[in-house]
Amino acid sequence: MDIIIGIMRNILEEGFIYGIMAMGVYISYSVLHFPDLSVDGTFPLGMCVTAALISSGVNPYVACVVAFICGACAGCVTGLLHVKLRITDLLSGILVMTAMWSVNLVITRGSAVVPFYNKDTIFNSGAVSLLPDGLYAWRILLISAVAAIAVKLILDLYLKTKSGLLLRATGDNQQFVKSVSRDPGTMKIIGLTIGNGCTALAGSILSQVSESANINSGTGMVVMGLASVIIGTSIFKRLSILKPTAMVLTGSVLYRACLAVAMQLGLPTNYLKLLMAVIFTFALVANNVLAKGKKYETPEY
Amino acid sequence: MKRFFDNPAGSKSNKSNSNKRRSIAAVIITVLIFSLIFTMVSCNQQSGGNGTKVLNIGVIQFAPHPSLDNCYEGFVQGLKEAGFVDGENIKIDFQNAQGEMSNSDMIAKNMAASKYDMIVGIATPAAMSAYSAAKDNDIPVIFTAVSDPVAAGIVKSLERPEYNVTGTSDVLPLEAQLKMIRAFLPEARKIGVVYTTSEPNSVSHLSQFRELAGKYGFEIVEAGVTSASEVAAAAMTVVSKGVDCINNFTDNNVVNNLSSVLHAADGAGIPVFGSEVEQVKNGCLASESIDYVSLGVETGKMAASVLKGETKASEMAVKLISDSTPVYNSSVLERLGLALPAEYEGAEDAAAAK
Repeated sequence: MDIIIGIMRNILEEGFIYGIMAMGVYISYSVLHFPDLSVDGTFPLGMCVTAALISSGVNPYVACVVAFICGACAGCVTGLLHVKLRITDLLSGILVMTAMWSVNLVITRGSAVVPFYNKDTIFNSGAVSLLPDGLYAWRILLISAVAAIAVKLILDLYLKTKSGLLLRATGDNQQFVKSVSRDPGTMKIIGLTIGNGCTALAGSILSQVSESANINSGTGMVVMGLASVIIGTSIFKRLSILKPTAMVLTGSVLYRACLAVAMQLGLPTNYLKLLMAVIFTFALVANNVLAKGKKYETPEY
Repeated sequence: MKRFFDNPAGSKSNKSNSNKRRSIAAVIITVLIFSLIFTMVSCNQQSGGNGTKVLNIGVIQFAPHPSLDNCYEGFVQGLKEAGFVDGENIKIDFQNAQGEMSNSDMIAKNMAASKYDMIVGIATPAAMSAYSAAKDNDIPVIFTAVSDPVAAGIVKSLERPEYNVTGTSDVLPLEAQLKMIRAFLPEARKIGVVYTTSEPNSVSHLSQFRELAGKYGFEIVEAGVTSASEVAAAAMTVVSKGVDCINNFTDNNVVNNLSSVLHAADGAGIPVFGSEVEQVKNGCLASESIDYVSLGVETGKMAASVLKGETKASEMAVKLISDSTPVYNSSVLERLGLALPAEYEGAEDAAAAK
């Protein structure tokens, strides 16, 4: 029983942390319809910034905030490249992702792996010391859940503001944004800034769990984020009580659960990617099958 | 997906109600399937404990790689020699992280959650994942093929790790390699090196190599790359600077693109020296190579002594393995019109092995 609880706990921990990134991907991919590849670069950016700051003794909470800001700046660059220099969405993401590799290496002073074991992180200092002993094993889950839910609530609040409404309109109907004499370009930049900020924050929190940063950790992050967004929104599409951010967060947990279950069942890791593709397809198809009662909608993925 | 934020209240019809019910059913079924699978998993793990206690050992290999495969093979052999046989008194759960950090972390965490009796990390990133996952549960971690465990932060010092972690470290025999290059090419002056800037092992090997090179009268011409696609161009650059040979370290990226390096060197008629026997089989002239199988065997023996409770991992010194054996490739030697130096007469011919 202990084992099952332990594995469930891991699934939830990772689900919540990667969920923060997935919500960022949701903003750029689903709200703005912008396939943002810079995520592969901003995730390790968050890690590297955190590692550099924490190993030089900066407060871990400050490190999280700085990581968010750095990610946001990188996202802003993606937006500027796309909007101001008129580079296509895919390419501007690729450019930033490529540039981030070097930036990350500069931040880590040229080393690919930066360990910061036994330093203060958000999981072993500050508010955590107030937790009773019995909850110590649950601290990572508690903090990552608090972080993920906080990000979710802030995003929900933001999307309800005037700026948030314009952001949603930019993805759906740019003409409308123009008609109220606002610039859809600016909204795109704002959306990408938020999205990449969330991604870098997820990287920062993850690096504090493993207490090390790895420059190569960005590989596959876009796909993981997209998978969470699509699994979450496809499965829960008809549940209107759930906000999309909540769907994405649940999607992220489900994604990690699929991986963990597959591994526990002894599926060789060589087949993990194939399994993910199958689950991905299943989520997409299930959505269409469930929608049969309604008139057919062309999927927008 | 456009309609996520639209308020569905206005457009709700009778149909969407039944749809909603159906999708809720789908969700419930999904959850049921998951819980079912979990119960099955738990049953699996609880069986097998009849009579003697079977120790669970989790092994994480960071990426598919011939040297690391050899490590694992040796590890199993080492355990066997010490009386631990997979399927009898131990159960080995071998997982390959496919070169991704997120996989490696997840595997390690699941192993720690399953309360394994030991976690083994093959290659630096896997060892780091194992260490950070096992820290809270005080599960012993054994690593192998980690070139610099102190820099990776998983041991305090090589003599006394302090943390519940120990293992074996592969030290590339750079001096022996330089000596070998000098013997094969008595006239050579410049050695070209292609390395990946993001691989910590390669960077530290390069600086050591440069320090030692002067002693043997060599000058190092290096070209750093960041990805697989740059290896060919970097090799060409090095060759165009007039080097007399190229030397490889255990750089994963360069080794995986060995053919590009060989191609560039072949064009100029110069040899490439490898860092392990696999590379020599594939067309390098010669190398002083570490036997990764025996590295693994050594690791397996250390693991066995921790499992028996003879010593604690935190008190067991990290073993450095730097014994190397020379190997050469006779068909490459012939093609380049070189003669086998007298002192390497007894070396193994990798061409024959292939």
